[in-house]
Amino acid sequence: MAITLKIERSVEGKQWVQDYTVELEKGMTVLSALIKIKETMDPTLSFTTSCRSGICGACAVRVNGNAVLACEAPMADLVKKYKTETLTIAPLANFTTLRDLIVDWKPKYIRLKKIKPSLQPKDEFSATAGCKQSPEDFKKYQKNSECILCGACVSECSKCTADATDFLDPFVFSKAQKLVADTRDKDASAHLAPAVQEGLWKCFNCQQCTTKCPKGLSPAEDIEKLRIATFKNKMSSSTGSDHAKAFYDDIHETGRLDESKLGLKTEGLKVALRAPMAYRLMRAGKMSPLEKSEAIPEIQKVRTILEASKEGK
Amino acid sequence: MDKMNRRSFLKLGAAAGATVVTGSYFGWFGDNIPVSVRNETALYDVLIIGSGAAGMRAALEATKQKGFKVAVMSKMAPTRSATCMAQGGINGAAAHTDTKDSPESHAFDTVKGGDFLCDQDAVEYYTNSAPGVLLELDYNGIAFNRQADGRFEQRKMGGSTYSRTAFSADITGHAVLHTMFEQCMKHDIDFIMDCQMLEIVTDDGKFSGVVAMDMRTGTIISIPSKTVIVATGGYGRAYWVRTSNPFSSTGDGITACFNVGIPIKDPEMVQFHPTGLAVNGVLLSEASRGEGAYLLNKDGERFMARYAPKAMELGPRDLVAQAIEKEIAAGRGVGEGLNAAVYMDFRHLGRAKIMDRLPQVYQLSLEYAGVDIAEQPVPIRTSCHYSMGGIDVIDYKTCATKVPGIYAAGECSCISIHGANRLGGNSLIEVLVFGKSAGIGASEHAKSTTYTGKKETLQAAVDSWNHKFAEASNRNSGPSIAFIRDRMALTMWNNVGVFRNEADLILAFNEITELQQEYKSCAVGDSSKVFNTSFMNYIELGNLLVLAKIIISGALARKESRGSHSRVDYAKRDDANFLQHTLVTKDGDKFKTEFRPVVIAKYKPEERKY
Repeated sequence: MAITLKIERSVEGKQWVQDYTVELEKGMTVLSALIKIKETMDPTLSFTTSCRSGICGACAVRVNGNAVLACEAPMADLVKKYKTETLTIAPLANFTTLRDLIVDWKPKYIRLKKIKPSLQPKDEFSATAGCKQSPEDFKKYQKNSECILCGACVSECSKCTADATDFLDPFVFSKAQKLVADTRDKDASAHLAPAVQEGLWKCFNCQQCTTKCPKGLSPAEDIEKLRIATFKNKMSSSTGSDHAKAFYDDIHETGRLDESKLGLKTEGLKVALRAPMAYRLMRAGKMSPLEKSEAIPEIQKVRTILEASKEGK
Repeated sequence: MDKMNRRSFLKLGAAAGATVVTGSYFGWFGDNIPVSVRNETALYDVLIIGSGAAGMRAALEATKQKGFKVAVMSKMAPTRSATCMAQGGINGAAAHTDTKDSPESHAFDTVKGGDFLCDQDAVEYYTNSAPGVLLELDYNGIAFNRQADGRFEQRKMGGSTYSRTAFSADITGHAVLHTMFEQCMKHDIDFIMDCQMLEIVTDDGKFSGVVAMDMRTGTIISIPSKTVIVATGGYGRAYWVRTSNPFSSTGDGITACFNVGIPIKDPEMVQFHPTGLAVNGVLLSEASRGEGAYLLNKDGERFMARYAPKAMELGPRDLVAQAIEKEIAAGRGVGEGLNAAVYMDFRHLGRAKIMDRLPQVYQLSLEYAGVDIAEQPVPIRTSCHYSMGGIDVIDYKTCATKVPGIYAAGECSCISIHGANRLGGNSLIEVLVFGKSAGIGASEHAKSTTYTGKKETLQAAVDSWNHKFAEASNRNSGPSIAFIRDRMALTMWNNVGVFRNEADLILAFNEITELQQEYKSCAVGDSSKVFNTSFMNYIELGNLLVLAKIIISGALARKESRGSHSRVDYAKRDDANFLQHTLVTKDGDKFKTEFRPVVIAKYKPEERKY
């Protein structure tokens, strides 16, 4: 079967889409197809690759808009999945493209540095005796240590696409969560404070990072865990956390959401600026400031559920 | 102004526009190159080439010196190196899991595993340093698997008497590399990334700087430095597809050192792993055979019965590798040429056990060979795995080479601690122990010397590379890089592989010489200055061709069989004549081979039995 790869090219400011046709071979991956093109058709096609076995993270690209590790993406599967013999290949989104499929990682490291991405060992540990940790505690962060810095999550991130200036890349939050979850670390707030500062509460919760991670990490879930950790560390001082707290308090008190107080509790006096929205909500019958919200009859059951979820049961 | 007519005004405008447009592409792109390097005011104390664990560990040590200018240069992004591919673990006699273990035992296992070609004083230093370096790594936050008492767990690997291999599941190298990267970020280590080292430059026999290509703009830059630590990894890609190594293992640093007169030590000692995927050389873990997989020839026969009737598939690495190649040579393999193979059969283990114990092996076989190992046997063949030989380090405590200011650490170096055969788990600890030593060694040298390099020498090298780039990148006709490279790999595999003999080695040397002639006129096919990966591949191939001849020169000189060097025409180990390191040096266009006695201390050479 002949497969057409439509590759987004860019060299020295020129941009175009170039078609290449390769014969589908057994075991052919997107990476081996790219190599075949470079070696037999067009030496100018440029991409990065190193280990070709899914552990170095150098070869992530987008196939039909979705981020994959080129070395781990079998062509036959993609042809079946998209029911087509034409695949588009593009560089990762939310990166600066240097040439063709090659992107600039340098700015990402600067962003990664912000959350203090290294262990701050507790004082009881030393460089001469190492650390101690139970096998159970090791499991709490083991998965997060498997990130290969391939950038697939960044490419997929809806929030980064919309505005990355007030939000870190998903893998950065996963690194922060790795350290927060590591019982050897002495100060979670050192990682949490910059995470809050850099958009922890601004995630759209679209879950694309988790869905597309080639190594099975869950950055979206890590963001949730970090948010929970901010409460545990008494750092609930952002709009996002106050909003979450207001939701919780309402449900805990009455079992109902009181929209009229939600804004005030979340944003304080700044909520006055939301007057036009409040007016629209009242007109639509979605909010009534005069209505006194009483606890629902089964409020005790609601509180039991909340307690249970708190304890992680 | 009144003299400027409309026509000349337009001309000027167009020229200015063109300058702006090209300026944005042929100036600097991003900030991968430090400002002081761009404006040629930089003078480094310690410049490290290679961003694997050895390079990063060295940088962490060098940066402890107050006010020192240190940077790590890499042709890729910092975490893409071969270190991340190591699976099994990292050795050190911390004696957590087995209290009987000791650095002495580790030293003996290493020397015996290396078939007594290791320098025993260096091995002793290495195994004595290992436990401390492991504990430092633990303190740095590596994700080590734990045992009940909270300390990191250690398991047993091939050739080790006790359980001394700490591990992070089956991705220990990845864990080591990323822990080092975390530490580098903590200490603000400067990474000069996307920068291909082209040449190490010396003045009056002393190191003076490095010439490199900024891949992003194609600018040839020179970086003056008091010292350089070469940590560029091994040369497995001389065998191209028949290697488990990453595409980047092209021995750039080894060739650069060779070119300034540093000998390459024991280059013939190339380790072949028995079970690489036939299709692309990717490693299927030794755990496969540990869990009971069979090796079958094309007739479905468990051929190991012929070579190791007791141990069968669980015989030592070199013996199993040699058995596989003998079967293929006798016509009992499947496929032909570079694609010839035997089978590894997992079917009798059952799908449940395969998925539970060997998930990565299952995944790799399915992805790359298109084989569901629960249903079908998978074609495998030996795969070039590790370079025991490398840059001749003459002082293991500092990692110094014979050229003042040039240091080497990691797989590119030969200290020698692996001798003729490396044990599993010994390379990850090597890169940390000697990365650290090199960092200290280079720092001490930089502290006590003033820079004497000449700007003119560096500039001459830059000019010469600019000329080379212009000439090569504009060549669109002639044999392709891949065409030359594949024939290099074929001749290396067929004649300088698991089994060797004089006639084949001479044949290979001559063939490589012919390929070097073709290389001079090969087509690069890309004239852009921006991220010209074709030119990068061209440079890498040039390095590999030189390395191929270095390997062959060593293999020709060593007229005995020891460890992974198996000469059919000299089938026995010959301690009387070859308890010596081979040293290959550049002698004009020729390759000169000399010998240096192995340092024997506690352990007298004995027959190697397992």
